[in-house]
Amino acid sequence: MFNFLRQIFRPTTKHPSFRRGWGRLLLLLPFTAAAGGGFFSGFTTEGHIGYNIGGSAPLGMPATIRSLDRFSLTPNINFGASATKRFSERWGVKVGVRFENKGMDIDAGVKNYHMEITKGGESLAGVFTGNVVSRADLWMFTIPVQATFDVSKKVRLRGGLFGSYLTGRKFTGWAYDGYLRKDDPTGVKVELGSGPDERGDYDFSPNLRRWQWGAVIGADWYFHRRLGVYAELDWGFSGIFESGFHTVEQTLRPIYGSIGLTYRLH
Amino acid sequence: MRLDRLQAAGLTVVAGTLMALTMTGCFKDEPLNAECDIERVAITVDNPEKFFFQITDTARNINYADSIITIDVRGAADISAVALRFVTTAGASVSPASGTVQDFTGGPVTYTVTSQDGNWRRRYYISLRNVWVTVQDTIKYDFEHYELNAAGQYYVWHNELADGTLGNDWASGNGGYNMAKGKDAPENYPSVPDPNGYDGACVKLTTRDTGPLGMTMPIAAGNLFIGEFDVSVALKKTLQATLFGKPFTGRPVKYTGYYKYKAGPKFTVKPKKVVDRVDIGDIYSVLYLNHDPEGNPFVLHGDDVLSSPQIVAIARVKDLHETSEWTYFEVEYEYSKEIDEALLAERGYNLTVVFSSSRDGASFEGAVGSELMVDKVRVITAHEE
Repeated sequence: MFNFLRQIFRPTTKHPSFRRGWGRLLLLLPFTAAAGGGFFSGFTTEGHIGYNIGGSAPLGMPATIRSLDRFSLTPNINFGASATKRFSERWGVKVGVRFENKGMDIDAGVKNYHMEITKGGESLAGVFTGNVVSRADLWMFTIPVQATFDVSKKVRLRGGLFGSYLTGRKFTGWAYDGYLRKDDPTGVKVELGSGPDERGDYDFSPNLRRWQWGAVIGADWYFHRRLGVYAELDWGFSGIFESGFHTVEQTLRPIYGSIGLTYRLH
Repeated sequence: MRLDRLQAAGLTVVAGTLMALTMTGCFKDEPLNAECDIERVAITVDNPEKFFFQITDTARNINYADSIITIDVRGAADISAVALRFVTTAGASVSPASGTVQDFTGGPVTYTVTSQDGNWRRRYYISLRNVWVTVQDTIKYDFEHYELNAAGQYYVWHNELADGTLGNDWASGNGGYNMAKGKDAPENYPSVPDPNGYDGACVKLTTRDTGPLGMTMPIAAGNLFIGEFDVSVALKKTLQATLFGKPFTGRPVKYTGYYKYKAGPKFTVKPKKVVDRVDIGDIYSVLYLNHDPEGNPFVLHGDDVLSSPQIVAIARVKDLHETSEWTYFEVEYEYSKEIDEALLAERGYNLTVVFSSSRDGASFEGAVGSELMVDKVRVITAHEE
């Protein structure tokens, strides 16, 4: 197993940049798919397409978030390819790459929720009671590295780690139908309405991280020789915002489930 | 085969359940209230008509921004043992408690409000003031009494009362501008004092750009008026934020003063569209009935200050023009209704005095940089004449 990893990552050692190493890995995939015999026995490649459902949320909901009033589906497609190498009857390693969106569109009811309305360098911070809409669009390349365990010929369980590099980052929204107390609960009270003229907009896009990582667990079920379905859970360990960003008090971790189709290429 | 399918289905269910738990689960108990405002004050006395000028004075709403509150009562009212009752933020407690009898003869009584969660406190200084209605003479507004607000962010003005003490009758939109441009120096606010007045200091009102946070309120005209500014509705119902007027017991006849005016270079309309217009300031004064025909308290707002049927008289400077010299203005109050002398003595009328650097500033039409300086304003009453 470790020998296999060393094979895969060998080109990386010559390049100090982790990112370029990943690039090498991507190049490797089509070749490995075409090869056969020797090291490549027990080697398969797969294509995936699926849909992510979830959100970036605090672990352990703070008491200041009172309700989730709306959860709308966003275009959270994911597609990619992977290669799996089996080392024994049941165990193997799976490495892949996919392009995906971990977006969300929610409307939450809050009470005394710390927030900041920002626009063009000006800001208005305080505690808000009312509703907050949050819209995220996080497009990224993700590389999962997982151990696989074949329960049967048709069912495979897997688990491991993933790293993501974000190519598109957007996190915007607005506070509405409520009131802000400037700075703290004793501060000046400002009522916000619901129309675009009366609400408080925010845009935290520039404060989103480029890199994310986390754990992944999943299962594949092949109902056909080549075609299968999968279910997966991606649990982000890193918050979506930069560590120095405290306007959103809680660390929001991207936690997404994914379901989709797998097609065995080789 | 069957087992495989069950296993896969089971895993999907587990993953789905984990998701659901993370996203929507575990809403904690509602936190206790953190706010500690007095929202309303009521006074119950045996003979309210002998204690108050107007029966509706027995209860009043408190502006969220205010912590110094003065309640005017009749000159003969006994304020040595009065119980105030409060409506506070839900769950907050007041000390001394609501309904406790206090002696107000020695000046303001301090009330401390503690939030339901115990973490926040606000102090209120409440005075009862005995007011003896006299036939009011000429009222002088010289703009010599100004200071920074408690947070040191912008200027506020005080009027001089008949007995030489200072009142809080002047208001401006500075509190609203503070929401959009909280980092600006006090001198860059729309309404500021200027030491180079006609006589001593004057007030200088400048139409300002509210910047990116101004959103649908792209400009802020500098203004100063007799009344109150309720910043809590400034964003939602802008024209409702200006509450014009305070009780007035004279019959105003003439409105005089000195001004300088300079129009800003680019006149804009919402949303910051440049149009071919020249800005002009506004100087006016309005006397109106402070109770509607049904007997409810009434106050003029930004949307009806010159048009309400409650208005009794208006004095407005009609020939206001650009001038770099101190220019004298004198206009007469034009009455549309008869004055009821008895009601006047019972403080049934309010008077407001208004200055604005952009006449249509309330609808965000004007030129950034327009500047109106005003000094030595007088409201001359019939008694004086």
